[in-house]
Amino acid sequence: MLARIICIGNPFIAADAAGPMVYGILAGCPLPASVNLVDGGLAGLRLLPLFEGCNQVIVVDAVEGFRADPGVIILDPATMPSAPVDYGHQAGLAYLLQAIPHILDPPVPEVVVVGIEGPATVPVCRQAARLCLDLVGSENGCPCRPESVSAG
Amino acid sequence: MTENGKKTIDLALNRVEGDLELKIEHEDGVVTNAWSKGIMYRGFENMLKGRGARDGLVLTPRVCGICGTAHLLTAAKALDMISGVHLPTNAMLVRNVAMMAEHIQSDLRHGILMFMQDCLNPAYVGLPLYEEAIHRYQTFKGRSVVRTIRMTKKILEIVAILGGQWPNSSFIVPGGVASVPTFNDIVNCTYIINNFTTWYEEQILGCPLDRWQQVRSEQELQAWLDESDSHRDSDLGFFIRFARLVDLHRLGRGHGNFLSFGQLELPEGSAVHGHRDGALLLSPGFIGQGQAATDCDQELVTEHVTYSHFVDYPGGLHPFDGQTQPYVSPYEIIKYSFCKAPRYDGRPAETGPLAQMLISGHPLFTDMIAGGGPNAYIRELARLTRPAELLPAMKIWAGEIDPEAPFYQSVREIPDGRGYGLIDASRGALGHWVEISRQKIAHYQIITPTAWNGSPRDHDGVRGPWEEALIGTPIADPDNPVEIGHVIRSFDACQVCAVHLLTTDDHTAGHSRCLRV
Repeated sequence: MLARIICIGNPFIAADAAGPMVYGILAGCPLPASVNLVDGGLAGLRLLPLFEGCNQVIVVDAVEGFRADPGVIILDPATMPSAPVDYGHQAGLAYLLQAIPHILDPPVPEVVVVGIEGPATVPVCRQAARLCLDLVGSENGCPCRPESVSAG
Repeated sequence: MTENGKKTIDLALNRVEGDLELKIEHEDGVVTNAWSKGIMYRGFENMLKGRGARDGLVLTPRVCGICGTAHLLTAAKALDMISGVHLPTNAMLVRNVAMMAEHIQSDLRHGILMFMQDCLNPAYVGLPLYEEAIHRYQTFKGRSVVRTIRMTKKILEIVAILGGQWPNSSFIVPGGVASVPTFNDIVNCTYIINNFTTWYEEQILGCPLDRWQQVRSEQELQAWLDESDSHRDSDLGFFIRFARLVDLHRLGRGHGNFLSFGQLELPEGSAVHGHRDGALLLSPGFIGQGQAATDCDQELVTEHVTYSHFVDYPGGLHPFDGQTQPYVSPYEIIKYSFCKAPRYDGRPAETGPLAQMLISGHPLFTDMIAGGGPNAYIRELARLTRPAELLPAMKIWAGEIDPEAPFYQSVREIPDGRGYGLIDASRGALGHWVEISRQKIAHYQIITPTAWNGSPRDHDGVRGPWEEALIGTPIADPDNPVEIGHVIRSFDACQVCAVHLLTTDDHTAGHSRCLRV
């Protein structure tokens, strides 16, 4: 089972820096060969190829309006009814997630979004990193347990 | 809002982030004035100062999520110049093929996924072509949309194959490229280019590339359209029919000044030849209001800040002398954009595929412009058909890569000095001006294509290109000014470089099954 953790965002914009911060934390953590860690940056629809050739994709990104207070939240794109998002230069994760079932040939991977609502503080990003490792750990024998994740 | 008897509209153009805004003044259903506002301070120039000489290679591709390869190449070219390095032929070939892949995916994603999306605007319900537009361009359901995403995803894989890394590829370095594609990699790239070309001919053009290249005037364009059903039924054929139906040619005239920094170096001995004499496939140059193209001289580039949120200086400054000191005051009444106002020889200039075609002397676009000046229709036509100019050269260049020959000329240290990288990115002229001192960046200035096209007024109060292009635009419904969207999108506005949050505007959180952690 191949899992891929894709951290999305812009490290130069505080409101969008959560994904890169989680990437920084996970990059310092030993991961099994069956887990790829990817700095997705601002690539948007250009990340589509990374949803091929694996069984599970965990997307880490800043989110807004998904929980009332700051913190981490797991979102399942398959159960997120929504109006179609139009493509644009700003077309980000929403468009990408909607594109997957229409564009990729089956089997498409299981996709989970680890969202960070509110400020990307170190404790919150550590929590998100631990969650990512939990999500891939059971299937991949991840040697790096959540409690051992240190600050990025 | 009423102001001196005139009405104004404020529009957030980028649909999620709102980092580009327009203020439009209109009277009797016609735009009488416009202000283009970049509302986010970028500041890469200041971030780079004091960093290592090569850091621009890593940081500037983050200026834009779409044009990362273009920024990487531009940063590397500036350091090539400072280092005085002579690039191996393979390095030029790999750089060219990768850049072309980025252009082609960008042109078609913009054309099919963004520009044609406006054909579905409620303003056009009931028009003869509306149902056909739905069938073609409805998000994720339109037949053209799905195929375009699939095929542009494929062409972009060339960058991953040649660069050995995806995303955020950083394989272009001073002295060449850091990756060494194998013979199999090159065969794979050629296979992708051939498949893509076949699809582009069938779906986008409706004819072979060489038939399209025979279209050299507006009259021949009409003959091409009438020639066969496959031409009329192609995406290009539909675009032309729809554009005529909604009078796209009457929108977005602008100043009539065009700028291209040129691009795609011609390696010695290559079977590919440029459109004009010179070292590049697509020529650099400037066209001022109907005059003949002149050579491009970067010494004539200046940036003005009178109407921008930066500390004032008189007139304009060349990028090597440029200053980027953000300044916002609650008492300020003149400044309205975080974009500076770039000018060429003191004049605003539009940039992009149309400028490229005109300066390279493409007969079709030269004829069309001579007939009635620039407009939104010609701009988008240039974008949709640019891949037809690039694909043949791309295939030849991929085949000319020699896996046994060098890809890199060693550059150990970047010496002190000044250099610039100038290319045409997918949206037009992109420049990096760099000064290195003691192995560190002493000065860095970036001018992006959208800074040219979406610039605010300059020191003399002259509007930027798309501000000017909006003047005279008819607005049938101020609550749904689709005409303004056509004009701005014909420039392929890109002010992003910023935040990509997933928000509940995109997904209905209240209906989501969420697990709190």
